Amino acid sequence: MSNAIQISNLQKSYANHMVLNGLSFCVHQGEIFALLGVNGAGKTTTLECIEGLRRYDGGSIRINGKMGIQLQSASLPEHIRPLEAVKLFAKWNQTSLDPSTLNTLGIYEFAKKQYFQLSTGQKRRLHLALALTRNPDILFLDEPTAGLDVEGRIALHEQIRQLKNAGKTIILASHDMAEVENLCDRLAILSEGRIAFIGTVDQLNEAVGKHYNIAIQTEKRTENYKSDNIAESLLRLLTQYKENGETVLDINIDRGSLEQHFIKITKGE
Amino acid sequence: MGAFLYGVFLQWKLDMRSKTLLITCYIVPLLFFAVMGGIFTSVMPQAKDTLIQSMTVFGVTMGALIGLPPSLVEIYSTDIKKVYKANGVPLYLGLVLTNISAYIHLFIMSVVLYFAAPLAFNAEIPDNPERYFISLAVFIAVSLSIASIIGLAVKDQAKTSIVSIIVFLPSILLSGIMFPIDLLPKAFQTAGKIFPASWGYRIMADYIFQLKNLLPLTVLFVLAVFACIILLRRLDK
Repeated sequence: MSNAIQISNLQKSYANHMVLNGLSFCVHQGEIFALLGVNGAGKTTTLECIEGLRRYDGGSIRINGKMGIQLQSASLPEHIRPLEAVKLFAKWNQTSLDPSTLNTLGIYEFAKKQYFQLSTGQKRRLHLALALTRNPDILFLDEPTAGLDVEGRIALHEQIRQLKNAGKTIILASHDMAEVENLCDRLAILSEGRIAFIGTVDQLNEAVGKHYNIAIQTEKRTENYKSDNIAESLLRLLTQYKENGETVLDINIDRGSLEQHFIKITKGE
Repeated sequence: MGAFLYGVFLQWKLDMRSKTLLITCYIVPLLFFAVMGGIFTSVMPQAKDTLIQSMTVFGVTMGALIGLPPSLVEIYSTDIKKVYKANGVPLYLGLVLTNISAYIHLFIMSVVLYFAAPLAFNAEIPDNPERYFISLAVFIAVSLSIASIIGLAVKDQAKTSIVSIIVFLPSILLSGIMFPIDLLPKAFQTAGKIFPASWGYRIMADYIFQLKNLLPLTVLFVLAVFACIILLRRLDK
């Protein structure tokens, strides 16, 4: 599998604070790749260095393809209308955006509004459309669903999947673990300017171990347990309840969320 | 070229939708003309000889210094700059488009004054309209170049308004449009020469394209363009 992006030993500091400390990773062509990290971990700085919006101090970045960028904090002149912005950017890049793409993104629904009248979700969709006007091979999405309601989030996830199916490489920075788990082929977790983990969601689960949360409800109470071996633990617990003469009403098993694994890794546990 | 022309057309439309531009380029200058034109010509009948020039200097200075900087701050001190850069639009485009659009608006306002002043206050039409309009064209360009420095150098709208007013007030008071420059103390006469308004009024009122009057405007324009290039480079970092 060839790489869309290859980062080697990337370094960036602000004043005396080292934000990226020898960062190295690659993004495969055609995959959805997530960049995760707590606030200040260097996600946006990393993306902006790759996008060419920020200068870096050392290392190298190789990009194989044309880029389209949806920024985390983005804005446009307040009186511009969505289709005017799309037309301006498309004309400037000597491309044209397929009306069906605009339709899929729902741009026509709010085409008559001016930018300052758009909701957060509508602005996000418009900026995604603008990123697509360059007909990019690689698409950068920085916190694409931040500030969106559930419906908007589901719609945008569907659009991101369609873009992947169309052969685009997608890199997204996100805080939303469910989003990463649903969408991404691979993920990298940034901690203190370095890669703390890189791999698939399953590999992340394996790396931190499978921890199950078991909740057992009886007539009197609900007890919570943690376990690494679900079969053994259940057998032992149910035997114990039976011996005590307690009737088990319900059992809930939770395998532990990606969020919990993420917190473990960023804390270096 | 098509993209650039579309940009000019779009900026023109955006400016038309903006209340700020409507107020600074049309409503205030024309209202000032309606009120002050009457006062000037009543108090000093000879003011009719230069009413078109004085009202135009006020309108252009107001439209440029108060009207243009907020549009530039909106582009260059917000995330719009990043969006342009991220999507392959060159950074200078915002500056060029807003200047061209403001230029057209200020020229239209000046033409309105040119035809309205004789009708409303029996003002004298310049002897040589061709030279008058060339002088006007030069004056608008220089005023916008100075306004561009403010728009690129100052980072927020509130400070921009203050800086604009600080430059606008002496521009008008020391330009000679309110009272003859000769009546001002020497220091104020000298200070007035820093601002394009005094030179603009001089070339438009004298109808003379003399090197001694054009040279200061040319120097101001070249310096302002250099300053804008440096500021744009700084913004690009």
